[in-house]
Amino acid sequence: MMSSAFRNAHLTASRLINPKPFSSSSILHFLPLCSGDASPRRSNPLRHRNSVSPSSSFPFCSISSFCIPMAGGDGQGSHSLEKQFDSFRVQLEESAALREQIRAVVMEIESATRLIQANLLLVHQSRPIPEVIEKSKEKINDLKKFYGRLAEILRECPGQYYRYHGDWRSETQAVVSQLAFMHWLETGTLLVHTEAEEKLGLNSLEFGLETEDYLTGICFMSNDLPRYVVNRVTAGDYDCPRKVMNFLTDLHAAFRMLNLRNDFLRKKFDSMKYDLRRVEEVYYDVKIRGLISGGDIPGVQVTQGQS
Amino acid sequence: MLSCSSVFQRVAFMLMAPKLKPQRLHQKTGAEQLVKKARTMTAESSMKDAFSTYADYLNNFNEKRERVVKASRDITMNSKKVIFQVHRLSKDNKEEVLEKAGKDLEAVRDQHFARLMRELQGTDFWKLRRAYSPGVQEYVEAATFYKFCLSGTLCTLDDINATLVPLSDPSLEPLQINILDYILGLADLTGELMRMAIGRISDGEIEFAQRICQFVRQIHRELMLVVPKMDDSYDMKSKMEVMLQSVIKIENACFSVHVRGSEYIPLLGDDAPTSYLLGAADVE
Repeated sequence: MMSSAFRNAHLTASRLINPKPFSSSSILHFLPLCSGDASPRRSNPLRHRNSVSPSSSFPFCSISSFCIPMAGGDGQGSHSLEKQFDSFRVQLEESAALREQIRAVVMEIESATRLIQANLLLVHQSRPIPEVIEKSKEKINDLKKFYGRLAEILRECPGQYYRYHGDWRSETQAVVSQLAFMHWLETGTLLVHTEAEEKLGLNSLEFGLETEDYLTGICFMSNDLPRYVVNRVTAGDYDCPRKVMNFLTDLHAAFRMLNLRNDFLRKKFDSMKYDLRRVEEVYYDVKIRGLISGGDIPGVQVTQGQS
Repeated sequence: MLSCSSVFQRVAFMLMAPKLKPQRLHQKTGAEQLVKKARTMTAESSMKDAFSTYADYLNNFNEKRERVVKASRDITMNSKKVIFQVHRLSKDNKEEVLEKAGKDLEAVRDQHFARLMRELQGTDFWKLRRAYSPGVQEYVEAATFYKFCLSGTLCTLDDINATLVPLSDPSLEPLQINILDYILGLADLTGELMRMAIGRISDGEIEFAQRICQFVRQIHRELMLVVPKMDDSYDMKSKMEVMLQSVIKIENACFSVHVRGSEYIPLLGDDAPTSYLLGAADVE
Protein backbone atom coordinates (compact mmCIF):
# COMPACT_ATOMS: atom_id res chain seq x y z
CA MET A 1 0.00 0.00 0.00
CA MET A 2 1.08 3.45 -0.66
CA SER A 3 1.13 4.37 2.98
CA SER A 4 3.53 1.65 4.15
CA ALA A 5 5.96 2.23 1.31
CA PHE A 6 5.79 5.83 2.14
CA ARG A 7 6.46 5.15 5.78
CA ASN A 8 9.50 3.04 4.95
CA ALA A 9 10.90 5.72 2.76
CA HIS A 10 10.43 8.20 5.53
CA LEU A 11 12.15 6.08 8.17
CA THR A 12 15.18 5.49 5.98
CA ALA A 13 15.44 9.10 5.02
CA SER A 14 15.03 10.30 8.55
CA ARG A 15 17.72 7.98 9.85
CA LEU A 16 20.11 9.24 7.22
CA ILE A 17 19.58 12.85 8.03
CA ASN A 18 18.74 12.86 11.66
CA PRO A 19 20.95 10.38 13.49
CA LYS A 20 18.91 10.76 16.64
CA PRO A 21 15.34 10.54 15.46
CA PHE A 22 14.05 10.72 18.99
CA SER A 23 16.21 13.61 20.11
CA SER A 24 14.03 16.10 21.87
CA SER A 25 15.95 18.97 20.42
CA SER A 26 15.19 17.99 16.89
CA ILE A 27 13.01 20.49 15.22
CA LEU A 28 11.31 17.66 13.41
CA HIS A 29 10.28 15.82 16.49
CA PHE A 30 6.58 15.74 16.66
CA LEU A 31 4.72 16.05 19.87
CA PRO A 32 1.70 13.94 20.72
CA LEU A 33 -0.58 16.41 19.01
CA CYS A 34 0.50 14.98 15.73
CA SER A 35 0.75 11.41 16.82
CA GLY A 36 0.02 9.21 13.88
CA ASP A 37 -0.99 6.27 16.00
CA ALA A 38 -4.54 7.34 16.34
CA SER A 39 -6.38 5.91 13.42
CA PRO A 40 -7.70 8.55 11.08
CA ARG A 41 -11.38 9.22 11.39
CA ARG A 42 -11.84 9.08 7.68
CA SER A 43 -9.69 6.80 5.66
CA ASN A 44 -9.40 8.87 2.60
CA PRO A 45 -6.42 8.44 0.32
CA LEU A 46 -6.15 12.15 0.02
CA ARG A 47 -5.75 12.47 3.70
CA HIS A 48 -2.48 10.58 3.68
CA ARG A 49 -0.92 13.21 1.55
CA ASN A 50 -1.65 15.90 3.98
CA SER A 51 -1.88 13.71 7.00
CA VAL A 52 -0.57 15.07 10.21
CA SER A 53 0.98 11.78 11.12
CA PRO A 54 4.75 11.81 11.42
CA SER A 55 5.12 9.53 8.48
CA SER A 56 4.22 12.13 5.93
CA SER A 57 5.67 15.07 7.72
CA PHE A 58 9.21 14.74 6.53
CA PRO A 59 9.73 17.29 3.77
CA PHE A 60 12.13 15.23 1.77
CA CYS A 61 9.45 12.70 1.21
CA SER A 62 6.67 15.18 1.06
CA ILE A 63 4.42 14.83 -1.90
CA SER A 64 3.04 18.27 -1.45
CA SER A 65 4.63 20.69 -3.84
CA PHE A 66 5.75 22.98 -1.10
CA CYS A 67 9.07 22.01 0.31
CA ILE A 68 11.30 23.63 2.84
CA PRO A 69 14.81 22.58 1.90
CA MET A 70 16.42 20.85 4.77
CA ALA A 71 20.07 21.62 5.08
CA GLY A 72 22.03 18.48 5.84
CA GLY A 73 22.48 19.13 9.51
CA ASP A 74 19.19 20.28 10.85
CA GLY A 75 19.96 18.63 14.16
CA GLN A 76 22.84 21.03 14.22
CA GLY A 77 20.50 23.88 13.26
CA SER A 78 18.48 23.57 16.40
CA HIS A 79 21.62 22.81 18.32
CA SER A 80 23.06 26.16 17.38
CA LEU A 81 19.73 27.69 18.33
CA GLU A 82 20.06 26.25 21.82
CA LYS A 83 23.65 27.28 22.04
CA GLN A 84 22.70 30.81 21.17
CA PHE A 85 20.11 31.03 23.90
CA ASP A 86 22.45 29.44 26.42
CA SER A 87 25.00 32.10 25.64
CA PHE A 88 22.29 34.77 25.93
CA ARG A 89 21.44 33.51 29.40
CA VAL A 90 25.05 33.70 30.43
CA GLN A 91 25.55 37.19 29.06
CA LEU A 92 22.37 38.52 30.59
CA GLU A 93 23.23 36.96 33.93
CA GLU A 94 26.54 38.76 33.81
CA SER A 95 24.94 42.09 33.06
CA ALA A 96 22.35 41.54 35.80
CA ALA A 97 25.15 40.83 38.26
CA LEU A 98 26.92 43.97 37.16
CA ARG A 99 23.74 45.92 37.73
CA GLU A 100 23.55 44.55 41.27
CA GLN A 101 27.04 45.81 41.96
CA ILE A 102 26.21 49.20 40.51
CA ARG A 103 23.03 49.44 42.58
CA ALA A 104 24.98 48.77 45.76
CA VAL A 105 27.43 51.60 45.08
CA VAL A 106 24.69 53.96 43.99
CA MET A 107 22.88 53.43 47.28
CA GLU A 108 26.02 54.48 49.08
CA ILE A 109 26.25 57.55 46.87
CA GLU A 110 22.69 58.36 47.76
CA SER A 111 23.24 58.14 51.50
CA ALA A 112 26.43 60.19 51.33
CA THR A 113 24.50 62.83 49.38
CA ARG A 114 21.82 62.89 52.03
CA LEU A 115 24.42 63.54 54.69
CA ILE A 116 25.82 66.42 52.69
CA GLN A 117 22.33 67.77 52.12
CA ALA A 118 21.40 67.55 55.80
CA ASN A 119 24.58 69.35 56.65
CA LEU A 120 24.04 72.10 54.11
CA LEU A 121 20.54 72.67 55.43
CA LEU A 122 22.15 74.21 58.49
CA VAL A 123 22.74 77.37 56.51
CA HIS A 124 19.03 77.98 56.70
CA GLN A 125 19.50 78.12 60.44
CA SER A 126 22.29 80.67 60.14
CA ARG A 127 25.11 78.31 60.93
CA PRO A 128 28.29 80.03 59.67
CA ILE A 129 29.04 79.05 56.12
CA PRO A 130 32.73 78.15 56.40
CA GLU A 131 31.95 75.66 59.15
CA VAL A 132 29.19 74.01 57.15
CA ILE A 133 31.30 73.83 54.04
CA GLU A 134 34.23 72.32 55.87
CA LYS A 135 32.09 69.48 57.09
CA SER A 136 30.55 68.83 53.70
CA LYS A 137 33.97 68.73 52.06
CA GLU A 138 34.79 65.64 54.09
CA LYS A 139 31.77 63.86 52.66
CA ILE A 140 32.80 64.78 49.15
CA ASN A 141 35.83 62.58 49.56
CA ASP A 142 33.48 59.70 50.19
CA LEU A 143 31.59 60.54 47.03
CA LYS A 144 34.84 60.56 45.10
CA LYS A 145 35.55 57.11 46.41
CA PHE A 146 32.14 55.79 45.38
CA TYR A 147 32.30 57.20 41.89
CA GLY A 148 35.75 55.68 41.61
CA ARG A 149 34.22 52.34 42.43
CA LEU A 150 31.57 52.82 39.76
CA ALA A 151 34.27 53.60 37.24
CA GLU A 152 36.06 50.43 38.26
CA ILE A 153 32.94 48.32 37.86
CA LEU A 154 32.34 49.72 34.40
CA ARG A 155 35.87 49.04 33.35
CA GLU A 156 34.74 45.43 33.11
CA CYS A 157 32.52 46.33 30.18
CA PRO A 158 34.00 49.22 28.25
CA GLY A 159 31.68 51.38 26.20
CA GLN A 160 28.62 50.50 28.24
CA TYR A 161 28.48 53.60 30.44
CA TYR A 162 25.18 54.56 28.86
CA ARG A 163 23.72 51.10 29.16
CA TYR A 164 23.70 51.44 32.93
CA HIS A 165 23.63 55.21 33.14
CA GLY A 166 19.99 55.28 34.23
CA ASP A 167 21.03 53.56 37.44
CA TRP A 168 22.99 56.54 38.70
CA ARG A 169 21.37 59.36 36.78
CA SER A 170 19.06 60.85 39.40
CA GLU A 171 21.52 60.32 42.24
CA THR A 172 24.18 62.17 40.26
CA GLN A 173 21.82 65.05 39.60
CA ALA A 174 21.26 65.35 43.34
CA VAL A 175 25.01 65.28 43.94
CA VAL A 176 25.62 68.08 41.45
CA SER A 177 22.87 70.16 43.01
CA GLN A 178 24.47 69.94 46.47
CA LEU A 179 27.96 70.58 45.16
CA ALA A 180 26.81 73.60 43.18
CA PHE A 181 25.00 75.06 46.20
CA MET A 182 28.11 74.57 48.31
CA HIS A 183 30.25 76.20 45.68
CA TRP A 184 27.93 79.16 45.49
CA LEU A 185 27.88 79.61 49.25
CA GLU A 186 31.64 79.59 49.22
CA THR A 187 32.38 81.72 46.17
CA GLY A 188 29.15 83.27 44.93
CA THR A 189 29.80 81.80 41.49
CA LEU A 190 28.48 78.93 39.46
CA LEU A 191 30.17 75.56 39.63
CA VAL A 192 30.81 74.71 35.98
CA HIS A 193 30.67 71.26 34.45
CA THR A 194 34.40 70.67 34.36
CA GLU A 195 34.82 71.79 37.97
CA ALA A 196 32.04 69.46 39.05
CA GLU A 197 33.71 66.58 37.26
CA GLU A 198 36.97 67.38 38.98
CA LYS A 199 35.42 67.55 42.42
CA LEU A 200 34.05 64.05 41.98
CA GLY A 201 37.26 62.70 40.54
CA LEU A 202 35.59 61.93 37.24
CA ASN A 203 37.03 62.27 33.78
CA SER A 204 35.08 62.40 30.56
CA LEU A 205 37.27 59.85 28.81
CA GLU A 206 36.52 57.01 31.13
CA PHE A 207 33.64 57.70 33.49
CA GLY A 208 32.42 61.23 33.16
CA LEU A 209 29.69 63.54 34.31
CA GLU A 210 26.95 63.60 31.72
CA THR A 211 26.26 67.19 30.64
CA GLU A 212 22.50 66.83 30.95
CA ASP A 213 22.86 65.45 34.47
CA TYR A 214 25.00 68.44 35.37
CA LEU A 215 22.45 70.89 33.93
CA THR A 216 19.56 69.19 35.71
CA GLY A 217 21.51 69.29 38.96
CA ILE A 218 22.01 73.04 38.53
CA CYS A 219 18.26 73.47 38.10
CA PHE A 220 17.70 71.57 41.34
CA MET A 221 20.09 73.93 43.06
CA SER A 222 18.15 76.92 41.81
CA ASN A 223 15.00 75.41 43.32
CA ASP A 224 16.59 75.67 46.76
CA LEU A 225 17.61 79.31 46.49
CA PRO A 226 14.28 81.01 47.21
CA ARG A 227 13.98 79.24 50.53
CA TYR A 228 17.53 80.19 51.41
CA VAL A 229 16.91 83.82 50.61
CA VAL A 230 13.75 83.96 52.71
CA ASN A 231 15.49 82.50 55.71
CA ARG A 232 18.51 84.74 55.37
CA VAL A 233 16.32 87.81 55.34
CA THR A 234 14.50 86.59 58.40
CA ALA A 235 17.87 86.23 60.04
CA GLY A 236 18.72 89.81 59.18
CA ASP A 237 20.96 89.36 56.17
CA TYR A 238 19.45 91.91 53.81
CA ASP A 239 22.26 91.68 51.31
CA CYS A 240 21.48 88.17 50.34
CA PRO A 241 18.46 88.77 48.08
CA ARG A 242 20.44 91.04 45.80
CA LYS A 243 23.30 88.60 45.49
CA VAL A 244 21.01 85.67 44.80
CA MET A 245 18.94 87.65 42.37
CA ASN A 246 21.94 88.68 40.33
CA PHE A 247 23.25 85.17 40.31
CA LEU A 248 19.96 83.61 39.38
CA THR A 249 19.31 86.21 36.68
CA ASP A 250 22.64 85.43 35.07
CA LEU A 251 22.03 81.72 35.43
CA HIS A 252 18.61 81.94 33.86
CA ALA A 253 19.99 84.01 31.00
CA ALA A 254 22.74 81.47 30.44
CA PHE A 255 20.23 78.64 30.39
CA ARG A 256 18.21 80.51 27.80
CA MET A 257 21.12 80.00 25.42
CA LEU A 258 20.32 76.30 25.31
CA ASN A 259 17.97 74.65 22.83
CA LEU A 260 16.22 72.06 24.91
CA ARG A 261 13.94 69.21 23.99
CA ASN A 262 10.64 68.71 25.76
CA ASP A 263 12.19 66.46 28.35
CA PHE A 264 12.85 66.40 32.07
CA LEU A 265 15.63 68.97 31.80
CA ARG A 266 13.29 71.39 30.09
CA LYS A 267 10.69 71.00 32.82
CA LYS A 268 13.31 71.69 35.47
CA PHE A 269 14.52 74.72 33.57
CA ASP A 270 10.97 76.00 33.33
CA SER A 271 10.72 75.95 37.11
CA MET A 272 13.80 78.18 37.38
CA LYS A 273 11.88 81.27 36.32
CA TYR A 274 9.51 80.81 39.24
CA ASP A 275 12.52 80.61 41.56
CA LEU A 276 13.79 83.83 40.01
CA ARG A 277 10.44 85.54 40.46
CA ARG A 278 10.28 84.49 44.10
CA VAL A 279 13.74 85.86 44.76
CA GLU A 280 12.87 89.10 42.97
CA GLU A 281 9.82 89.44 45.16
CA VAL A 282 11.90 89.00 48.31
CA TYR A 283 14.40 91.54 47.00
CA TYR A 284 11.61 93.97 46.31
CA ASP A 285 10.12 93.48 49.77
CA VAL A 286 13.44 94.12 51.40
CA LYS A 287 14.30 97.08 49.24
CA ILE A 288 10.99 98.85 49.45
CA ARG A 289 11.21 98.82 53.20
CA GLY A 290 14.62 100.35 53.12
CA LEU A 291 16.25 97.36 54.69
CA ILE A 292 18.97 97.17 52.10
CA SER A 293 22.21 98.80 53.17
CA GLY A 294 22.72 100.33 49.70
CA GLY A 295 25.57 100.04 47.23
CA ASP A 296 23.57 98.68 44.33
CA ILE A 297 25.50 96.78 41.77
CA PRO A 298 24.98 98.16 38.26
CA GLY A 299 23.82 94.78 37.16
CA VAL A 300 20.66 95.30 39.19
CA GLN A 301 19.53 97.93 36.74
CA VAL A 302 19.22 95.36 34.00
CA THR A 303 17.02 93.07 36.01
CA GLN A 304 14.32 95.58 36.80
CA GLY A 305 11.21 94.77 34.86
CA GLN A 306 12.50 91.39 33.75
CA SER A 307 10.07 88.62 34.32
CA MET B 1 26.26 105.35 32.13
CA LEU B 2 25.63 102.55 34.50
CA SER B 3 27.00 104.40 37.51
CA CYS B 4 24.87 107.37 36.54
CA SER B 5 21.69 105.42 36.72
CA SER B 6 22.66 103.86 40.02
CA VAL B 7 22.99 107.34 41.47
CA PHE B 8 19.61 108.12 40.00
CA GLN B 9 18.24 105.00 41.57
CA ARG B 10 19.57 105.92 44.97
CA VAL B 11 18.01 109.34 44.73
CA ALA B 12 14.73 107.96 43.50
CA PHE B 13 14.73 105.45 46.28
CA MET B 14 15.22 108.13 48.89
CA LEU B 15 12.39 110.13 47.44
CA MET B 16 9.97 107.29 47.01
CA ALA B 17 10.57 105.13 50.07
CA PRO B 18 7.49 105.16 52.35
CA LYS B 19 9.56 105.43 55.46
CA LEU B 20 13.09 106.51 55.77
CA LYS B 21 14.93 104.48 58.28
CA PRO B 22 17.91 106.33 59.57
CA GLN B 23 20.60 104.17 58.14
CA ARG B 24 24.11 104.87 57.22
CA LEU B 25 24.18 104.75 53.51
CA HIS B 26 27.00 102.53 52.58
CA GLN B 27 28.86 104.83 50.26
CA LYS B 28 30.94 102.76 47.95
CA THR B 29 33.82 104.52 46.31
CA GLY B 30 33.80 104.73 42.54
CA ALA B 31 36.76 102.36 42.38
CA GLU B 32 35.06 99.75 44.53
CA GLN B 33 32.01 99.97 42.37
CA LEU B 34 34.01 99.43 39.21
CA VAL B 35 35.78 96.44 40.68
CA LYS B 36 32.51 94.97 41.73
CA LYS B 37 31.08 95.62 38.28
CA ALA B 38 34.04 93.95 36.62
CA ARG B 39 33.75 90.93 38.87
CA THR B 40 30.08 90.58 38.12
CA MET B 41 30.66 90.87 34.42
CA THR B 42 33.44 88.31 34.51
CA ALA B 43 31.30 85.93 36.50
CA GLU B 44 28.44 86.48 34.11
CA SER B 45 30.54 86.11 30.99
CA SER B 46 32.33 83.05 32.24
CA MET B 47 28.92 81.56 32.92
CA LYS B 48 27.90 82.46 29.39
CA ASP B 49 31.08 80.94 27.98
CA ALA B 50 30.49 77.72 29.83
CA PHE B 51 26.90 77.60 28.70
CA SER B 52 27.77 78.23 25.10
CA THR B 53 29.81 75.03 25.14
CA TYR B 54 26.85 73.21 26.69
CA ALA B 55 24.60 74.69 24.01
CA ASP B 56 26.92 73.43 21.26
CA TYR B 57 27.07 70.01 22.81
CA LEU B 58 23.31 69.73 23.14
CA ASN B 59 22.68 71.06 19.62
CA ASN B 60 25.08 68.60 18.06
CA PHE B 61 23.81 65.71 20.06
CA ASN B 62 20.15 66.41 19.41
CA GLU B 63 20.82 66.77 15.69
CA LYS B 64 22.57 63.44 15.72
CA ARG B 65 19.68 61.90 17.57
CA GLU B 66 17.31 63.19 14.91
CA ARG B 67 19.43 61.65 12.15
CA VAL B 68 19.43 58.34 13.99
CA VAL B 69 15.67 58.44 14.43
CA LYS B 70 15.21 59.12 10.74
CA ALA B 71 17.48 56.25 9.76
CA SER B 72 15.65 54.02 12.21
CA ARG B 73 12.28 54.94 10.70
CA ASP B 74 13.54 54.13 7.23
CA ILE B 75 14.80 50.78 8.45
CA THR B 76 11.43 50.08 10.05
CA MET B 77 9.46 50.95 6.93
CA ASN B 78 11.58 48.96 4.57
CA SER B 79 11.83 45.97 6.87
CA LYS B 80 8.06 45.91 7.08
CA LYS B 81 7.98 45.76 3.28
CA VAL B 82 10.23 42.71 3.37
CA ILE B 83 7.87 41.06 5.83
CA PHE B 84 4.86 41.74 3.63
CA GLN B 85 6.79 40.42 0.65
CA VAL B 86 7.56 37.15 2.42
CA HIS B 87 3.90 36.86 3.36
CA ARG B 88 3.07 36.69 -0.35
CA LEU B 89 4.64 33.28 -0.40
CA SER B 90 2.59 30.42 -1.71
CA LYS B 91 3.39 26.99 -3.02
CA ASP B 92 3.78 28.25 -6.56
CA ASN B 93 5.94 31.29 -6.21
CA LYS B 94 8.20 30.56 -3.34
CA GLU B 95 11.48 31.13 -5.11
CA GLU B 96 10.64 34.41 -6.73
CA VAL B 97 9.08 35.79 -3.59
CA LEU B 98 12.03 34.87 -1.43
CA GLU B 99 14.52 36.08 -3.97
CA LYS B 100 12.94 39.51 -4.02
CA ALA B 101 12.69 39.51 -0.23
CA GLY B 102 16.38 38.70 0.05
CA LYS B 103 17.28 41.53 -2.28
CA ASP B 104 15.07 43.96 -0.40
CA LEU B 105 16.64 42.95 2.88
CA GLU B 106 20.05 43.55 1.40
CA ALA B 107 18.94 46.98 0.27
CA VAL B 108 17.87 47.82 3.81
CA ARG B 109 21.35 46.90 4.96
CA ASP B 110 23.20 48.77 2.27
CA GLN B 111 21.16 51.93 2.25
CA HIS B 112 19.85 52.48 5.73
CA PHE B 113 22.00 50.52 8.13
CA ALA B 114 25.06 52.20 6.72
CA ARG B 115 23.63 55.57 7.74
CA LEU B 116 22.96 54.32 11.23
CA MET B 117 26.44 52.95 11.54
CA ARG B 118 28.03 56.27 10.78
CA GLU B 119 26.19 57.96 13.61
CA LEU B 120 26.58 55.32 16.25
CA GLN B 121 30.27 55.34 16.85
CA GLY B 122 31.61 54.93 20.35
CA THR B 123 29.39 55.54 23.33
CA ASP B 124 26.47 56.60 21.16
CA PHE B 125 25.71 52.94 20.52
CA TRP B 126 24.15 52.62 23.96
CA LYS B 127 23.41 56.28 24.51
CA LEU B 128 21.10 56.50 21.52
CA ARG B 129 19.67 53.01 21.75
CA ARG B 130 16.10 54.21 22.35
CA ALA B 131 16.32 56.19 19.13
CA TYR B 132 17.20 53.31 16.84
CA SER B 133 15.93 50.26 18.70
CA PRO B 134 12.52 50.10 16.97
CA GLY B 135 14.17 50.04 13.54
CA VAL B 136 16.63 47.37 14.53
CA GLN B 137 13.91 45.24 16.08
CA GLU B 138 11.88 45.42 12.89
CA TYR B 139 14.94 44.47 10.87
CA VAL B 140 15.63 41.47 13.09
CA GLU B 141 12.00 40.44 12.65
CA ALA B 142 12.27 40.69 8.88
CA ALA B 143 15.62 38.91 8.65
CA THR B 144 14.61 36.02 10.88
CA PHE B 145 11.25 35.68 9.11
CA TYR B 146 12.94 35.55 5.74
CA LYS B 147 15.57 33.09 6.93
CA PHE B 148 12.99 30.76 8.39
CA CYS B 149 10.93 30.66 5.24
CA LEU B 150 14.08 30.10 3.24
CA SER B 151 15.74 27.38 5.29
CA GLY B 152 13.58 26.49 8.26
CA THR B 153 16.25 27.62 10.70
CA LEU B 154 16.69 30.52 13.06
CA CYS B 155 18.95 33.31 11.98
CA THR B 156 21.11 33.74 15.06
CA LEU B 157 22.38 37.05 16.38
CA ASP B 158 25.87 36.17 15.22
CA ASP B 159 24.54 35.41 11.74
CA ILE B 160 22.81 38.77 11.52
CA ASN B 161 25.78 40.65 12.84
CA ALA B 162 28.07 38.92 10.39
CA THR B 163 25.99 40.33 7.54
CA LEU B 164 26.42 43.82 8.94
CA VAL B 165 30.18 43.77 9.31
CA PRO B 166 31.05 44.17 5.62
CA LEU B 167 28.87 47.26 5.41
CA SER B 168 31.06 49.46 7.47
CA ASP B 169 34.20 51.30 6.62
CA PRO B 170 37.13 49.42 8.08
CA SER B 171 37.96 52.55 10.03
CA LEU B 172 34.57 52.58 11.69
CA GLU B 173 33.28 50.26 14.36
CA PRO B 174 30.87 47.86 12.71
CA LEU B 175 27.32 48.15 13.91
CA GLN B 176 26.50 45.11 15.92
CA ILE B 177 22.96 44.49 17.06
CA ASN B 178 22.82 43.89 20.78
CA ILE B 179 21.14 41.02 22.57
CA LEU B 180 18.22 43.05 23.82
CA ASP B 181 17.14 44.34 20.43
CA TYR B 182 17.59 40.90 18.92
CA ILE B 183 15.38 39.27 21.50
CA LEU B 184 12.74 41.96 21.16
CA GLY B 185 12.75 41.45 17.39
CA LEU B 186 12.48 37.70 17.84
CA ALA B 187 9.37 38.17 19.95
CA ASP B 188 7.69 40.01 17.09
CA LEU B 189 8.78 37.30 14.64
CA THR B 190 6.48 34.80 16.29
CA GLY B 191 3.49 36.98 15.49
CA GLU B 192 4.36 37.03 11.80
CA LEU B 193 4.98 33.30 11.82
CA MET B 194 1.57 32.79 13.36
CA ARG B 195 -0.01 34.73 10.52
CA MET B 196 1.94 32.72 8.02
CA ALA B 197 0.99 29.44 9.64
CA ILE B 198 -2.70 30.24 9.50
CA GLY B 199 -2.31 31.39 5.93
CA ARG B 200 -0.45 28.26 4.91
CA ILE B 201 -3.07 26.04 6.43
CA SER B 202 -5.69 27.75 4.32
CA ASP B 203 -3.50 27.07 1.33
CA GLY B 204 -3.26 23.43 2.26
CA GLU B 205 0.36 23.46 3.34
CA ILE B 206 -0.03 21.68 6.61
CA GLU B 207 3.56 20.61 7.10
CA PHE B 208 4.84 24.09 6.87
CA ALA B 209 2.32 25.15 9.50
CA GLN B 210 3.43 22.31 11.74
CA ARG B 211 7.05 23.24 11.34
CA ILE B 212 6.20 26.77 12.26
CA CYS B 213 4.36 25.44 15.30
CA GLN B 214 7.42 23.50 16.43
CA PHE B 215 9.72 26.40 15.80
CA VAL B 216 7.64 28.95 17.63
CA ARG B 217 7.20 26.61 20.58
CA GLN B 218 10.94 26.20 20.79
CA ILE B 219 11.58 29.92 20.68
CA HIS B 220 8.96 30.55 23.31
CA ARG B 221 10.50 27.97 25.62
CA GLU B 222 14.01 29.29 25.19
CA LEU B 223 12.99 32.89 25.68
CA MET B 224 11.13 32.11 28.88
CA LEU B 225 14.40 31.50 30.61
CA VAL B 226 16.16 34.46 29.12
CA VAL B 227 13.58 37.22 29.49
CA PRO B 228 13.62 37.75 33.28
CA LYS B 229 17.30 38.64 33.12
CA MET B 230 16.97 41.34 30.51
CA ASP B 231 17.53 45.03 31.20
CA ASP B 232 14.08 46.61 31.49
CA SER B 233 12.29 43.33 30.94
CA TYR B 234 8.90 44.98 31.23
CA ASP B 235 8.38 45.33 27.47
CA MET B 236 9.52 41.81 26.93
CA LYS B 237 7.16 40.38 29.50
CA SER B 238 4.11 41.63 27.63
CA LYS B 239 5.62 40.38 24.36
CA MET B 240 5.96 36.95 25.94
CA GLU B 241 2.26 36.88 26.69
CA VAL B 242 1.46 37.82 23.11
CA MET B 243 3.91 35.17 21.94
CA LEU B 244 2.18 32.50 23.94
CA GLN B 245 -1.13 33.55 22.38
CA SER B 246 0.45 33.18 18.93
CA VAL B 247 1.70 29.71 19.79
CA ILE B 248 -1.74 28.73 21.00
CA LYS B 249 -3.39 30.07 17.85
CA ILE B 250 -1.07 28.01 15.70
CA GLU B 251 -1.64 24.96 17.86
CA ASN B 252 -5.39 25.39 17.59
CA ALA B 253 -5.17 25.70 13.84
CA CYS B 254 -3.10 22.51 13.62
CA PHE B 255 -5.61 20.85 15.89
CA SER B 256 -8.48 21.84 13.60
CA VAL B 257 -6.69 20.38 10.65
CA HIS B 258 -5.92 17.21 12.51
CA VAL B 259 -9.42 16.67 13.77
CA ARG B 260 -11.42 17.75 10.76
CA GLY B 261 -9.19 16.16 8.19
CA SER B 262 -10.02 16.38 4.55
CA GLU B 263 -13.37 18.08 5.06
CA TYR B 264 -11.32 21.07 6.04
CA ILE B 265 -8.39 20.87 3.72
CA PRO B 266 -8.98 21.78 0.14
CA LEU B 267 -8.23 19.32 -2.60
CA LEU B 268 -4.73 19.39 -3.92
CA GLY B 269 -3.53 18.92 -7.44
CA ASP B 270 -2.44 21.21 -10.23
CA ASP B 271 -5.91 22.23 -11.11
CA ALA B 272 -7.15 22.18 -7.59
CA PRO B 273 -9.44 24.95 -6.62
CA THR B 274 -7.96 27.28 -4.10
CA SER B 275 -9.37 27.21 -0.64
CA TYR B 276 -12.84 28.55 -0.12
CA LEU B 277 -11.30 30.61 2.61
CA LEU B 278 -9.23 32.50 0.10
CA GLY B 279 -12.27 33.15 -1.98
CA ALA B 280 -11.04 32.35 -5.45
CA ALA B 281 -12.59 29.30 -7.00
CA ASP B 282 -11.48 27.41 -10.07
CA VAL B 283 -14.21 24.86 -9.97
CA GLU B 284 -14.42 22.85 -13.12
